[in-house]
Amino acid sequence: MNKPKLIALLPFVLCTLALAADTQWVLQQCTLTYHVSHPLHQTDGISHAARGKGICHAGQCDFLIAVPVKSFDSGDSNRDLHMVQVTRGAEFPMVTVRTRLLESAGNDASIQADLEIQFAGQTAHYQHVPFQLTKQGADVRLSGTIPATLTDFKIEPPTLLTLPVKNEIPVRIEMTWHPTQ
Amino acid sequence: MKWKAPSRALPAAILVVSLVITPLLYAQQPDATLTGTVTSPSGGRIANSVVSVKNLNTGAASTTQTDSDGRFVVPNLASGDYEVSASTDGLNAVSRVTLAAHATQTVNLTLTTQSQPQTPAGNLPNAPSSSKTEPSLSDLGFTPEQTQANVKEQALLDKRTRMLKIHQKLGLITAAPLIATIVTSLGAGGKHTSNTDRTVHMVLGAVSSDLYFTSAYFAIRAPSIKGTSTRGPIRVHKALAWIHGPGMILTPILGALAYQQKNNGEKVHGIAAAHGPVAIVTAGAFGAALLSVSLKF
Repeated sequence: MNKPKLIALLPFVLCTLALAADTQWVLQQCTLTYHVSHPLHQTDGISHAARGKGICHAGQCDFLIAVPVKSFDSGDSNRDLHMVQVTRGAEFPMVTVRTRLLESAGNDASIQADLEIQFAGQTAHYQHVPFQLTKQGADVRLSGTIPATLTDFKIEPPTLLTLPVKNEIPVRIEMTWHPTQ
Repeated sequence: MKWKAPSRALPAAILVVSLVITPLLYAQQPDATLTGTVTSPSGGRIANSVVSVKNLNTGAASTTQTDSDGRFVVPNLASGDYEVSASTDGLNAVSRVTLAAHATQTVNLTLTTQSQPQTPAGNLPNAPSSSKTEPSLSDLGFTPEQTQANVKEQALLDKRTRMLKIHQKLGLITAAPLIATIVTSLGAGGKHTSNTDRTVHMVLGAVSSDLYFTSAYFAIRAPSIKGTSTRGPIRVHKALAWIHGPGMILTPILGALAYQQKNNGEKVHGIAAAHGPVAIVTAGAFGAALLSVSLKF
């Protein structure tokens, strides 16, 4: 093969190598907020302690986000301890969220993700959870709400003054992913 | 000044109320018991083996250890399906039992090298893909303390919650006789009150006091969790206990003095005259303590 032919093939070879290479994403910032409704209280518990990683391979990306149960702060230590107790947070200390997305989804304004969440010793699946995407330079910012419920994780509803909280505990996620490769 | 003993009905009434209330307070407590032994593959009893008991219906779990004879007892369990597991030095055993209410069930565990059902900390969720390049929890840099299960702490949290639930229920129940005590005080302290009015007021006060201190016991004895600082409205709730706690001790003492003076036909005087104001401050602090954990502010 002569030199001009090699030069002509070079862009194709480079593109092929680039596509074959794994791209990684790191969760740079994340705020998770669960909301609990009680006839006397509306409570939000917030955590900034989530960590995550995404690995893209052959056009698909697997993401894992994990957060310690104990890292959620509702502004009341007694309530937080009770939350850790009812969710069995000492026995199952991490919440993990897994999802698989097409690598090209990063260019969309919104996506629908299928999530697998492990929490309180249970695994729940959520289909087509909508997320909004915003590009910030190379970073991608995602925000959405997971329609979680207590029964999804077999959690007994906590009570205050003998009144139980609502079954719905929507979890708001705001996160910024940064590509590392 | 002569002390006139209250009618014989008074102590009897207090006794009856206590006898009625106490069983009611514990009526809903789980009372099934799980016992058994843990043995090695060769048949020898294993001492100090950690035994975990998990209610498969509610997820509630508790742990204990075998004694020097390899025996264990887990009392106060609710009826239902349970997973019982034991582990020592890399050997494990798991068994499932169904407990009936009031029953004592025996389960004997023989340790083997088979793997224990894993917790999420050690067993990542089922991967959505079979890709070998997907990230794992170990990639994320959490410390082992953050990711490893702490069964003992969970048991402590469970105990804490159980005790605080009783504290909360008793606190609410206490509010009823306390309000009734305040209402009957209107007829107990005036010039033209009868012995009956005062006795009713005293009995209600005694019941309130009895319930209050039982409730306080469960709050004080609830285990604290290491590394937790008190934040939020619970601080107000705890601070108010420094007002209604001493008040609940002082009020009956002053009330007894006032009761004695009134029964002697005297006007309430001296330190006994502080019974009313102390009672009002105490009841106010108690009510504020209830509201501090009930309403968001």
